[in-house]
Amino acid sequence: MSERALYVYGVVPRTTPPAVFEDVHGVDPSQPVVLVDDGDVAAIASAVRLDEFGEGPIEENLRNPGWLAEKARAHDDVLAAAVGRTTVLPFRFGAIYRNEDHVLDLLRKRTDFPSTLSRLAGAAELGVKAFVDVDALADRLAAHRQVDEEVSAGRAYMQRKQQARELDDELERFVNERAQQSHDRLATVAGDACVNAVQPGDPSSRRRMVLNAAYLVDNSAEERFRSELEDVERAEREEIEYELSGPWPPHNFTGEAEA
Amino acid sequence: MSTPDRTNLYRPLAHRESAQLADVLERVLDKGIVIAGDIQINLLDIELLTIKLRLLVSSADKAREMGIDWWQNDPFLGRGDQNGALEDRLKRLERAAGLDGERSGRDD
Repeated sequence: MSERALYVYGVVPRTTPPAVFEDVHGVDPSQPVVLVDDGDVAAIASAVRLDEFGEGPIEENLRNPGWLAEKARAHDDVLAAAVGRTTVLPFRFGAIYRNEDHVLDLLRKRTDFPSTLSRLAGAAELGVKAFVDVDALADRLAAHRQVDEEVSAGRAYMQRKQQARELDDELERFVNERAQQSHDRLATVAGDACVNAVQPGDPSSRRRMVLNAAYLVDNSAEERFRSELEDVERAEREEIEYELSGPWPPHNFTGEAEA
Repeated sequence: MSTPDRTNLYRPLAHRESAQLADVLERVLDKGIVIAGDIQINLLDIELLTIKLRLLVSSADKAREMGIDWWQNDPFLGRGDQNGALEDRLKRLERAAGLDGERSGRDD
């Protein structure tokens, strides 16, 4: 039997009923998720074994992508249980305390938690990704160009190379501009918005992500946000495909400055 | 327990089925308040691992069905260099994550 520690997922207002988390498991699936409270806020926590999450073992486990993927999902599942039921302020993966007293110390020290929770109240995070079919887009842009077939084979080859480069630039400009426009429109309906780095795709795939954004959307504005996204999608129907995800816990809007 | 109308609007847990691993990793490992607990965790390692995981996940939609063995074989290194495209993407991603500056200084 290994010694235990407490893994903390984030904080919620103290008024949150513990039953919100009764259907989810912790990062150690055998452990229930509990609330540790002090003052205005409560920490969402569950017990973990030190032989899995202790200083040495966790370093080892972090090198195992399968382990990390599973635990990251569990972390998000716990926070997601709060979405729509209470306000939740998500922590990044890996806040582990030796005992409850240390968790209470954290809650007492972080006097900023209550105001951040107020800021996030009544809203959730929605994710929007946009994709283009690179080949189709390149074909359309290339249709405006042509190689002068009268010149020698060597020069035609050089022209083609040159045009391919220009086409790449044009494509880049085009998608960046469109992605930015889409984001700007969606951001007007959101309380807050942020653009993240696009996720890499399979290099052999024609589908390329051109926007990876997150929006903090008030509950009362969710329908408006969805219809704005539909409008944006209609406007770009030919070339850009959008994907909506969420509602997520507001991971992107905790107020933590980007590194 | 929960307010019915809100539950209805937000359908809590409904997105769990479809939440893609890449999105979960991005949020859980890159975002959220950083709390230095009692156990020291090397966040830089996590970031590198995230980048690797993202590459893997995005390269194969069915990452979830794939067992841990598949991950452990480190296909990122094993699948070979496809005209450097994967490497380029990794570099771009690292730059976006501000990793290259921290580790080695900007050399491009």
